Amino acid sequence: MTMSAADATDSRTGDVRNVRTFAVENADYYEAEFEKIEGRTGFALSWNWAAAILGPVWGTARGAWGFFWIFLILELFALVQVGRGLWGELGADELERYNRIRENVENREAKVAELRAAGDTAGADAGQRIADNLKVAAETALEAATAANASATSILIFGLALFAFVKIAEGFYANYAYEAQYLRWRSGKPEQVGLSRRSVIYGMIGLAAIWPLTLVRFTVADPDAWISRVTGGLFGDSWSIVEFPVGKEYFTVLALRGDAGFDWLAIRFGGAFDGITQGIRWVLDGLEVILIQTPWPVVMFITVVMAYRLAGPRVAIFTAAALAYLAFMGLWELSMITVALIGAGAFLCVLIGIPLGIWFGKSRRAYTFAEPVLDFMQTMPAFVYLIPIIAFFGTGKPPGVLATLIFAMPPVVRLTALGMRGVPETTKEAALAFGCTKRQLLFNVELPLALPSIMTGINQTILMALSMVVIASLIGAEGLGALILESLQYAAKGQGLLGGLAILFCAMVIDRIAQGVYRKKSGNV
Amino acid sequence: MARADTHLIRQSDMSDSVIELKNVWKIFGSDANAAMDAVLSRNLSKADVLREFSCVVGIADVSFSVEKGEIFCVMGLSGSGKSTMVRHLNRLIEPTAGAITVLGQDILSLNDAELRNVRANRIGMVFQHMALLPHRTVRDNVAFPLQVRGEPKSRRWEVSQRCLDRVNLTGYEDRFPRELSGGMQQRVGLARALASDPDVLLMDEPFSALDPLIRRQLQDQFMALSAELGKTTVFITHDLDEAIRIGNRIAIMNDGRIVQIGTPEEIVTRPTDDYVRDFVEGISKLKLVFAHSIMVPINEYVPARPVNFDESPRAHLGSDLDHLIDIAITTDHVIVITDDAGGDVGIVDRATLLRGIQGGKA
Repeated sequence: MTMSAADATDSRTGDVRNVRTFAVENADYYEAEFEKIEGRTGFALSWNWAAAILGPVWGTARGAWGFFWIFLILELFALVQVGRGLWGELGADELERYNRIRENVENREAKVAELRAAGDTAGADAGQRIADNLKVAAETALEAATAANASATSILIFGLALFAFVKIAEGFYANYAYEAQYLRWRSGKPEQVGLSRRSVIYGMIGLAAIWPLTLVRFTVADPDAWISRVTGGLFGDSWSIVEFPVGKEYFTVLALRGDAGFDWLAIRFGGAFDGITQGIRWVLDGLEVILIQTPWPVVMFITVVMAYRLAGPRVAIFTAAALAYLAFMGLWELSMITVALIGAGAFLCVLIGIPLGIWFGKSRRAYTFAEPVLDFMQTMPAFVYLIPIIAFFGTGKPPGVLATLIFAMPPVVRLTALGMRGVPETTKEAALAFGCTKRQLLFNVELPLALPSIMTGINQTILMALSMVVIASLIGAEGLGALILESLQYAAKGQGLLGGLAILFCAMVIDRIAQGVYRKKSGNV
Repeated sequence: MARADTHLIRQSDMSDSVIELKNVWKIFGSDANAAMDAVLSRNLSKADVLREFSCVVGIADVSFSVEKGEIFCVMGLSGSGKSTMVRHLNRLIEPTAGAITVLGQDILSLNDAELRNVRANRIGMVFQHMALLPHRTVRDNVAFPLQVRGEPKSRRWEVSQRCLDRVNLTGYEDRFPRELSGGMQQRVGLARALASDPDVLLMDEPFSALDPLIRRQLQDQFMALSAELGKTTVFITHDLDEAIRIGNRIAIMNDGRIVQIGTPEEIVTRPTDDYVRDFVEGISKLKLVFAHSIMVPINEYVPARPVNFDESPRAHLGSDLDHLIDIAITTDHVIVITDDAGGDVGIVDRATLLRGIQGGKA
């Protein structure tokens, strides 16, 4: 074939890239088949005997590794079914049970005979009844075993049908996969050209590692014993393919080490931990004094007015309704404790999170290190860090705030960093060109431009802090969380629902007011 | 006409230069200094530097000076290093080698505070993408350089108002940039650059992102302003027409090097290489070529048949082709060119004129 439009010439090396130079072996065949595939918009029937017969091995030979893996697994699945149908002792478990019961029955009947001989008729009758019951159970087990053995045939047929189907799929799919590989290769991706012996060897190693063990595992009733028998104890008796041959020994040692480590830290840095606790307590106490000690009408009035001024009449009405709910349910004080807890958590998150976010936004390297830590803080289940928090900080509200901090801080850090990075370079450059100091740049340009992102971060942080309320109550933080924890313990459905609604309303009020502030500030009310 | 004359005067008075670059190089990359040494000692090409050091030569051996009150255009295609070059003048980019003097100060020797001071007081800059602060009103955007300088609000607003009046944006003070069209935003950018009353204006492709009609309007407005304020300006553009319209002198950059510096007329009539020639090919010469560059000196003129110069119309040395054509169509005589004193110095006949229109060559 002469050069066609489908040929590509590498601009750097001058190599001609066409089907012929790609397929090398059997080039005529592939040229014709690819033409068929490329000439049709829909599905073109293109059958590849080599791929159908050799399956995954064809894939390895042609370097079509995607094909190799897909059909390796499909063929293996079909073969497992065939193996189970042929040699799988499907009724083995039930048969064993039957034998066990039969043995039991025989023992009992022997005993009954003894009793009868001894003249204990009542005892013998009782024994006989148990033996009869066991006989029924044995019959059931035997039936199950027979049924399982009978199903072997259908499994075998299913397996064979599946295998045939996989072969057909291989034959039809191969040229499509290979054509896609050709297109990748033509656009300069490193793909194998022609047949390769080395690839076949790699593929065979893969097959040898995967197929035999898996087939044995699924077809033989006791694979470990079978392997031990076949290999003549070459790997010893304890070697197992069913379970990883390790007990709990490593785990136990490391866990004990961990315990010792935490204890050491708790003692060594006790002062620092106490200091942190004290700091959090100050913030908490301040907020609690404001929210709880202030007479409730004053707090309610200020909150509603604030909502009105900052976020408009609709939010004010909603706020009034929500506060009324809290008051009439008698949850006012608990709610205020909760809000103080969240408020302290969110405040500290923002206080620590925004400077960190600014730093991470400016320094790529710092962010690279921080990213996994932030991921860890967000994905690690809360219970895992509750344990060390108790070890270091004890129980009560400050540790609760600390747990909130760990969970709720990542969004504000991330979004601040994102916002900082989103400030256009041109804008920063312009500010510098007018003689800005770093500080002026930060406060006049970067932070205002990053503000939308930062506000989203703060919002998310507040909402995540709220979701920690119940978990924080596990380590003794009072409030609505404790109420819900209690209803969980006593299955008090109604109490749980009312408490949950109270948390929801607290969250919504805070969220709506905060969003209102932001909307007003950005000028799109 | 006036332009050519003022330029002649300026060239003779070099002590007045406001900006001076001497052999400035900028090489980007982690190994820039080693690459620089190699370039100087072994005379490597741009491609060599990229291959050997994985460094990119941004600008190469750039030297020029700009005189007080001059509009100096730097023209080049994208990637030619013109934007990189202009950022050296206020040291937004540090050069790898060379000397830069602006307003008599060695810019490279300034410490951070001094540099900020120069940027805030003496050099204004206008950017291609405006780079306005979206969260501030037009007024506060214009006042930004003054705020940076620590001026009180009342003074900031007063100056800002004056600058906005100057660019015809009176009445838009309290709008936000996003509410303005592209052309208006760039006028805000210009007002901002003028707010600190700098001695030097750096304009980095200020009108490139605008549509042609608005661009022309802004060019006119800028030239009027410039004539009034007389600020020394370095004007970056990729549009030769714009450079010719605006510039007193033009520097043409290619691949980080300046290939030619000259008045618009010099660039158009005497391009130094094919690169520049390609550029000027499509440019109309009528307004750029002047009598003095095409005329035949009067004592060398060999008439085809005897002529009497007394009947010939007269034109000044600085008349452009457009004007000479106007004269030529009214008469059959050759045109006599006179100097400032009114004395006859040269002759332009029909053949000379046609050659001039064609190629700007005598």
